[in-house]
Amino acid sequence: MSGIAFTLNGGAAMLRGAPGRRLADALRDELGLTGTKIGCNAGDCGACTVLLDGVQVCACLLPAARVAGCRVTTVEGLAQDGALAPLQAAFLRHGAAQCGICTPGMLMAAADLLARNAAPDEAAVQDALGGVLCRCTGYRMIIAAVLDVARTAQPDMPAAGRAVGAAIARRDGVAKLTGAEAFGADAAPPEGCLALRAIRSPHAHARFQIGDCAPLLAAHPGLLRVLTAADLPGGNLYGIYPEGKDQKVLAEAHVRHRGEPVCALLGEAETLAAIRDEDVPIVWEVLPPVTFARAQAAEAVQLHAHAPENILCRGRVARGDAAAALASATVRASIAIETGFVEHAYIEPEAGFAVRVGAPGSERIEITACTQTPYMDRDEIAQLLGLAPSQVRIIPTAVGGGFGGKLDLSVQPLLAAAAWLTGRPVRWVYSRPESMAATTKRHPARIQAAAAADGEGRLTGFRCHGDFNTGAYASWGPTVANRVPVHAMGPYRVPDVLCTSAAIHTNDPPAGAFRGFGVPQAALAGEALMDMLAAQLGLDPLEFRARNALGVGDTTGSGQVLGAGAALPACLDALRPRWAALRGAAAAFNAEASGSLRQGVGIACMWYGIGNTSLPNPSTMVMGIDHAARPILFSGAVDIGQGSNTIMGQIAADALGVPVAALHLVTGDTDRTRDAGKTSASRQTFVSGNAARLAGEALRGEILRRANAGPHARIALEAGVLCVSEAGRTIKLDLASMPADGEGLVLRGEGRFDPPTTPLDADGQGIPYASYAFAAQIAVVEVDLDLGTTRVLRIVAAHDVGRAINPQLVEGQIHGGIAQGLGLALMEEFIPGRTENLHDYLIPTIGDIPPIETILIEEADPLGPYGAKGVGEPALIATAPAIFNAIAHATGIRLTRAPATPDRLRAALLAAR
Amino acid sequence: MNRFDYARPATIAEAVALAAEPGATYLAGGTNLLDLMKGDLVRPARLVDVTHIPGLDAIEPLADGGVRIGALVRNADLAHDADFARRFPAIAEALLAGASAQLRNAATAGGNLLQRTRCAYFYDAASACNKRTPGAGCDARGGETRMQAVLGWSEHCIATHPSDFCVPLVAFDAIVEIEGPKGRRECPLEHFHRLPGDTPERESDLAPGEMITAVRLPGAAAQFAGHARYLKVRDRTSYAFAIVSAAAALRLDGETIVEARLALGSVAAKPWRAHAAEALLAGAQANEANFRRAAEAALAEARPAGANGYKIELARRVVRRAFILAHAGTPARIQALPASPFATGALRHV
Ligand SMILES: Cc1cc2nc3c(=O)[nH]c(=O)nc-3n(C[C@H](O)[C@H](O)[C@H](O)COP(=O)(O)OP(=O)(O)OC[C@H]3O[C@@H](n4cnc5c(N)ncnc54)[C@H](O)[C@@H]3O)c2cc1C
Ligand code: SF4
Ligand code: FES
Ligand code: FES
Repeated sequence: MSGIAFTLNGGAAMLRGAPGRRLADALRDELGLTGTKIGCNAGDCGACTVLLDGVQVCACLLPAARVAGCRVTTVEGLAQDGALAPLQAAFLRHGAAQCGICTPGMLMAAADLLARNAAPDEAAVQDALGGVLCRCTGYRMIIAAVLDVARTAQPDMPAAGRAVGAAIARRDGVAKLTGAEAFGADAAPPEGCLALRAIRSPHAHARFQIGDCAPLLAAHPGLLRVLTAADLPGGNLYGIYPEGKDQKVLAEAHVRHRGEPVCALLGEAETLAAIRDEDVPIVWEVLPPVTFARAQAAEAVQLHAHAPENILCRGRVARGDAAAALASATVRASIAIETGFVEHAYIEPEAGFAVRVGAPGSERIEITACTQTPYMDRDEIAQLLGLAPSQVRIIPTAVGGGFGGKLDLSVQPLLAAAAWLTGRPVRWVYSRPESMAATTKRHPARIQAAAAADGEGRLTGFRCHGDFNTGAYASWGPTVANRVPVHAMGPYRVPDVLCTSAAIHTNDPPAGAFRGFGVPQAALAGEALMDMLAAQLGLDPLEFRARNALGVGDTTGSGQVLGAGAALPACLDALRPRWAALRGAAAAFNAEASGSLRQGVGIACMWYGIGNTSLPNPSTMVMGIDHAARPILFSGAVDIGQGSNTIMGQIAADALGVPVAALHLVTGDTDRTRDAGKTSASRQTFVSGNAARLAGEALRGEILRRANAGPHARIALEAGVLCVSEAGRTIKLDLASMPADGEGLVLRGEGRFDPPTTPLDADGQGIPYASYAFAAQIAVVEVDLDLGTTRVLRIVAAHDVGRAINPQLVEGQIHGGIAQGLGLALMEEFIPGRTENLHDYLIPTIGDIPPIETILIEEADPLGPYGAKGVGEPALIATAPAIFNAIAHATGIRLTRAPATPDRLRAALLAAR
Repeated sequence: MNRFDYARPATIAEAVALAAEPGATYLAGGTNLLDLMKGDLVRPARLVDVTHIPGLDAIEPLADGGVRIGALVRNADLAHDADFARRFPAIAEALLAGASAQLRNAATAGGNLLQRTRCAYFYDAASACNKRTPGAGCDARGGETRMQAVLGWSEHCIATHPSDFCVPLVAFDAIVEIEGPKGRRECPLEHFHRLPGDTPERESDLAPGEMITAVRLPGAAAQFAGHARYLKVRDRTSYAFAIVSAAAALRLDGETIVEARLALGSVAAKPWRAHAAEALLAGAQANEANFRRAAEAALAEARPAGANGYKIELARRVVRRAFILAHAGTPARIQALPASPFATGALRHV
């Protein structure tokens, strides 16, 4: 048939595929324009937004035939002659793209608006961009960018030695704005790629048998092979903890959660799409599921041999005598709270491809996919395929959001097995429902806590137990169980504490790592207690916290004495004026309120240990100079949108003493970089940042040694020549004559950093983390008492970041964390099988995020690179408790279940009457 | 998704002929249909793309002061039509409260009426659903019922119709114009959608092959323009389906209500017109006590379909609030966050 002729980005274009296919697929697969992203294929996320005759539409819900004779504009059509359009430049300037997966959609929606309204106000921006979801930025910087397209000047790049502390634009920013950045589904797979599709359990708990697949294969010539557990080339077991691998690449006769893969179809993409799940001969025997509520009941079956009573593991921190302290206290408060599953909801579903390469005898497997942890992936895949780690290469693509969810393996094991078995490249892109059903979540929690204080408002005791639903498999369950007891009492001086936790197996999807590892759930309980105690004592909630805030020289519940940089008191001091003004304004509003709206202002504090809990946590970086005098940083730290590519560059450039603009960066690829550890636990700035600093310093030392120059000499790189100058003399190093190593480097430095920690004893005493970040946030809410709806009006966030290597990126992390905290507080709850899409599972939209004021407290951490600590997770933790405390202030209702949906808040209001 | 044949008729007659074959389905904006096809919930043998039929995308004023909305008028174009929005503000407000700008730019009037339920069990092929497979059972019963119906449901199905647009339409006596193998006919919107009874798979009055050509509003609807509002409670401020919504409109003589209109959304398998509540208000004073009585009457027959009893009280409150807002008068322009209980203008804040 003849094609579909249309105008694409100003030029003539033709589509030849089926007329009913989605425009998004046609643009990406047929025309190779992968700037248009697919986050859901359902109209829910807006990542696929393009302009059709000038107005924004979802390309994923547009039949390709519809564009015949029309004008289509995609993100690739925005920049003209290689120059960013003013809108794109504004996004760059404002840090409006983090991971960048939503950015093309945001830009197209904004372009539609600006074409109609050159000077929009904030409400108009929210209205026009309301259909594009962003999980990273918290939207405020996007709004600021759209409101600021008129300005054009980009800030200058800092001079040598001035990069740390500068709000430079992200290094990978331009690629994210033009559509050039390749995410998991964008990386071009080799010719002849096979498609893969997993058949997953529709049941939470079942036994199954796979029948004879011959008829299925015969009926579908495009179906090459059905992979089952028996076909896997090496092992079948994987998992985060070496001693507790419990998850199967393909289930063997028994599935423990809905979404668990039981077999995989390999073949032509179109054929696979046309096969229905029920066409695959699987006989299910459905078993009663183990639920969180009844996992320890007598009738509950034990899901894993190693987990009696379905308890995977426990955590404990005990110091002093909490029971006695509680019994003898002047005031006491207790609470029990519950939270549900929370989904990471990154806009990029997992995707990638695997290729078997090399001559027989020296074969390797190469996996190109989105991941937060390339080295763990490499070792795990090697173990699964029975290969040496050196036979596995992981090439991370740009990551369209991770938040912990891309620390676990997803597409990699089956891709690797399939490519290894067939010898053909294999590609796999998760669908949105698949991504939501099959990957990890935030642990649902049931937490009981009690706290006590003396008459002066000093905390005397704290007791807490948290049960965490870790789902069918361990994943990061032990991390949560260990981390929570250390943090549960909050960032306060409490002499007597007893905090315990248990990770419990159920037939729910595995809960894993999600920004905060259980601490956000615990903070909901702890911060409620602080308000309750303050109220009993007649103290202001902020003052009560200030009286107890952990500071330099104080001892934590783990017996650790905090060193310089513990800056919660400074955070609270910084909030005081805003707190007084906002509480006053809310009181004035409520005094006049006649309708059903009431305002409330709440506060919450948090602390967060940076890096792994009492475990080695090293990062190694290499920095070198090549023949062309280019300084190159080889960084294994994966940038998942948080900006580590930029941060590492700023640190390394200053350590070496060259302008950051001159620095080249090689990232990720396990063949080219060293292990920088995973992008998790807010550790990259602190741990890998130190490694980058040490690498830069080592390289600088090497250069100065060769030039025989003193420590304060200036290093300059000009036109392929390396010059070292000092006290009026300049030495040129003849790079051309130096031998280059395997990486093309003539001079090199290596840096390795492992934060100093000690193991925790049976009572959780020791030094679990080398550094802690602190924060305090204020939330202002408006509650409609009649309807039970809550709207957050403002967040004021004071964060102790040690040193802001890049204030714009730090602020971006804080905004994004706050948006996720707001979602946790008000709307997000994943229910397996029921909310596996982005319209039943709601995350905040641009209309939900209020103005955010950030206050950065910079009290250098002596261990951090240039004093810096992490901020990724800290940003989220205080938000939900601050909102809950604000709701309590507005209504008198202390909610004990998150999220505070209108029905729950209404029910609580009715019950209190 | 199955393989299907794609046809692009140029006239209504051609479309109806093409759609007469078993397995044929009309395709308009595609915002619902493409999603359903992806999930294999519908597997049409043929798509009859009606979007190239000329003349179906007009908004025509009628002699009686009413308006005829062509089936292909896009939701956004209708909401932004200044004359339409002035005369039927609650409808414009409802349209703008639905979905997102992208979807409103593609979704059509006809398609909006025929969008399928958002019941999660309907979408989950592994769940039993009478609507998908008649007689299979309904797993929503005893399951997650937070979003399900409280009015007009049956043991066989407790799903709701999720449209915002249809709620004010039904309040204002909209009429659906239909063309089919047996010719032209029309059907009041109130009788267009069906309650589930024991045939939840039959959702509308349309016979196979019939197509919607227009939706008509009588002139009387415009008489409420000064006091007509749509209010939508949802779990986030925008871009979410309603938990409960209401369109409320008043015709006033001083403080006396001459005529009231009320319909509720997301409470039943159809947009729910509340005649009893309207009757109660006719001739009454426009005050909170009477709005409260009207709300009681509107929900008199409501019963929870599970753990969703909260919706009944919430619906009463939404009705009361919608009438309070309508009584206060239609705002001159639709505010940011249309139909939100929070859309109180800029944040008054220090
Ligand atoms: C993410 C998302 C959020 C949404 N949120 C909302 C919301 O908040 N409120 C709301 O009201 N709606 C919402 N919707 C639904 C949206 O309004 C509908 O999808 C849209 O109105 C359908 O119109 P369409 O033209 O795209 O229909 P299509 O998808 O083309 O068709 C829908 C159905 O109608 C049939 N059909 C279409 N036109 C005709 C005709 N002329 N004659 C006969 N049959 C016809 C088709 O065969 C099909 O069965 C949302 C949709 C999405 C995807
Ligand atoms: S409520 Fe209706 S649509 Fe939902 S599962 Fe039951 S029968 Fe199906
Ligand atoms: S991919 Fe189109 S809306 Fe999500
Ligand atoms: S930057 Fe928006 S989703 Fe990542």
